[in-house]
Amino acid sequence: MTKEDFIHLVRDELDLPLGVDDLSADFDHVVSWDSMHMIRLVGAVERKTGNRVPVGKLLADRSLSAIYERISAA
Amino acid sequence: MTTVSSPAARETPPPPAAPRPTPLVALRALRSAGELVERYAEVAPLLAEMVSAGDEDDFQRAGNILTQLDRDAVKAALPDTETAVVALTGHSTLGSVRAPLTAEFARHGILLEDRLGDFDAYLRDLRDPESPLHAPDVDLALCVIDPHTLLDEMGTPWQADDLVQTAERKLAQLTALAAAFTERATAALVLNTVPLSRTVTHQLIDHASRNRASIAWREFNNGLLRLALDHPGVHVIDLDPLVAGGAALNEPRMSAYAKAHLGDELLAGYAREVAHLARMLRGRTKKVLVVDADNTLWDGILGDDGMDRIAAATTFRGEAFGNFQRLIQQIGSQGILLAVSSKNDHEPLVQVLREHPDMVLREADFARINANWQPKDANLRDIAGKLNLGVDSFVFADDSAFECGMVAGGLPQVAVVRLDDEPALHVGKLLADGWFDTARLTAEDRARAALYRTEAERADLLDSAGSQEEYLAGLGVRVTLGEAGPGDVDRVAQLSLRTNQFNLTTLRLQPADVTEREQDPDHLVLAVRTGDRFGDNGVVGAVFAHRDEDTLVVDNMILSCRVFARGIERTTVAALLAHAGATGARAVLASYRPTAKNKNVRGFWPSVGFAPTEATDGELRFRHDLDDLVAVPSHVTLTSTLEGSTT
Repeated sequence: MTKEDFIHLVRDELDLPLGVDDLSADFDHVVSWDSMHMIRLVGAVERKTGNRVPVGKLLADRSLSAIYERISAA
Repeated sequence: MTTVSSPAARETPPPPAAPRPTPLVALRALRSAGELVERYAEVAPLLAEMVSAGDEDDFQRAGNILTQLDRDAVKAALPDTETAVVALTGHSTLGSVRAPLTAEFARHGILLEDRLGDFDAYLRDLRDPESPLHAPDVDLALCVIDPHTLLDEMGTPWQADDLVQTAERKLAQLTALAAAFTERATAALVLNTVPLSRTVTHQLIDHASRNRASIAWREFNNGLLRLALDHPGVHVIDLDPLVAGGAALNEPRMSAYAKAHLGDELLAGYAREVAHLARMLRGRTKKVLVVDADNTLWDGILGDDGMDRIAAATTFRGEAFGNFQRLIQQIGSQGILLAVSSKNDHEPLVQVLREHPDMVLREADFARINANWQPKDANLRDIAGKLNLGVDSFVFADDSAFECGMVAGGLPQVAVVRLDDEPALHVGKLLADGWFDTARLTAEDRARAALYRTEAERADLLDSAGSQEEYLAGLGVRVTLGEAGPGDVDRVAQLSLRTNQFNLTTLRLQPADVTEREQDPDHLVLAVRTGDRFGDNGVVGAVFAHRDEDTLVVDNMILSCRVFARGIERTTVAALLAHAGATGARAVLASYRPTAKNKNVRGFWPSVGFAPTEATDGELRFRHDLDDLVAVPSHVTLTSTLEGSTT
């Protein structure tokens, strides 16, 4: 999944008005981010890629780009 | 907070060369254009289309959009928008129920304000009169419980006995809290059953313990369901059928990491049921099911295949259509009026219903059969006119996407059930949305189809009578008036919730409200029963009034549309005025509050001798000084058990 695909998915699924800059920002600084978004994002990524996402580790991540890196590495 | 670039630049563009945008794309376009608030009325049809097409992912995405909508702005821009306040509490993480709840309510035209309480605060929220659940403007208080509501209280290791005791204790606790809550709060309380998962039962390795645990778990759920039977203000959504339908109880990782003990799909299904419940509590229950015939009631096209080559039994596909007919019969047996709207010639279609050996449904099962070549939206309007009901009380089921689209476009108030070419799915599709849900079935409901059939006999009498007077004289109308008893509560409440045309103030009362008034010596709740030479109509009307010193104030008067224009309303008022005078009242006050549906009764109070007094906030007020009483029409026989009656 490319970075663009990922940000597209995040916008599409969560309907958050995210810019590319928001990828690297800490969640505390991302518009309207809450933990439920993470849960929905995991489901969406798994549906899209068919791969299991390591949720337990993901929860420790503090930014979308960290999540993206982890998903790409999986 | 990060600065974001223009939201317009961040929207997903519609797919190129798409002839018509999908409902989600259309919704996003409305949002991007900043028009979602002003054009909120367009949201419900878009959502209905998503559900009808089975696109649940898009529906969830639509929910995400709508939860971000500025509700106050919608209320300010469109003050007529129906609104609801739902307060949520529970044991686990419930954030993901917000989007589906918002979308489900919006789909039924209701703008939702949801108030999500603190995590795991359900006991405090139920108990504390200051909690958000108790706020006076809350319509529904949702208390969502999950398996961990029981499991967290057992400790480890545990044995079957521990579960038995925990389940009993928790049921007793919830029962007491629910009962106290209904005493204090105005909101309807919504609980749910808790599905049992294998990860619970199989923690016990011996079968005897496993069985005991399963029994205890189910008795907990049964106890909750009984709680709803005992308290009219408590509703229980049974989650077992949703799990049986394929919604996973939870996603184990989300349950473990995020304390989301109920899965997203299950919560989405729960949200759908909650919206049905909200619709039901507002009396927005559908009363008529209109079905297509070819490839809806039977396999094949009558006009092309001929009567001998259509099937609703004996073939594999035919059996599936037969099952669908049995479902329609089942719905009809509970008071929903059935009608056909089919592009066919009338005679051959009726011949099928009379003679074809496969048919479960026969001609007499239908209150109207419109087989013709007119557009279906026109047919639905015609059926509504003949039955004297609004098309907003109609559900329309058809296998043709074209016909469904035409009805949805032309009559957006009609609930459209879009069937397809797989008849085995017809049953599930018709049942998906609880269109006909009602709190309790009354005797009048069960008899309704027969009542409408006798209507045809009355129509014949009307045709043969030379004048309206002759017709009424021949009809032999009987009116029985008396204070409503406990056995009338459900029916009287139902009339107040569902009647739209002859409903003078639209004071809507749940059964518990009716009971309260019925038991209050200062209040009067009258049940109006009628009959004529063709049979009894049962309770067709109600009057709510209260004493204010030497004045009797009529809070509302309701009459079923089935019995209009037979002098029943005049008879009721005559008896009411006589009663008021005989019990020491010096005047009777009444009012009329206009709605979109009750315009025809605007002049009712003056027509029975009331004088207009004042008009405020659009409400018209009237007064009768009990000097010149209206008479019971000569063609009506009145039996009144009210004090002061002369009959």
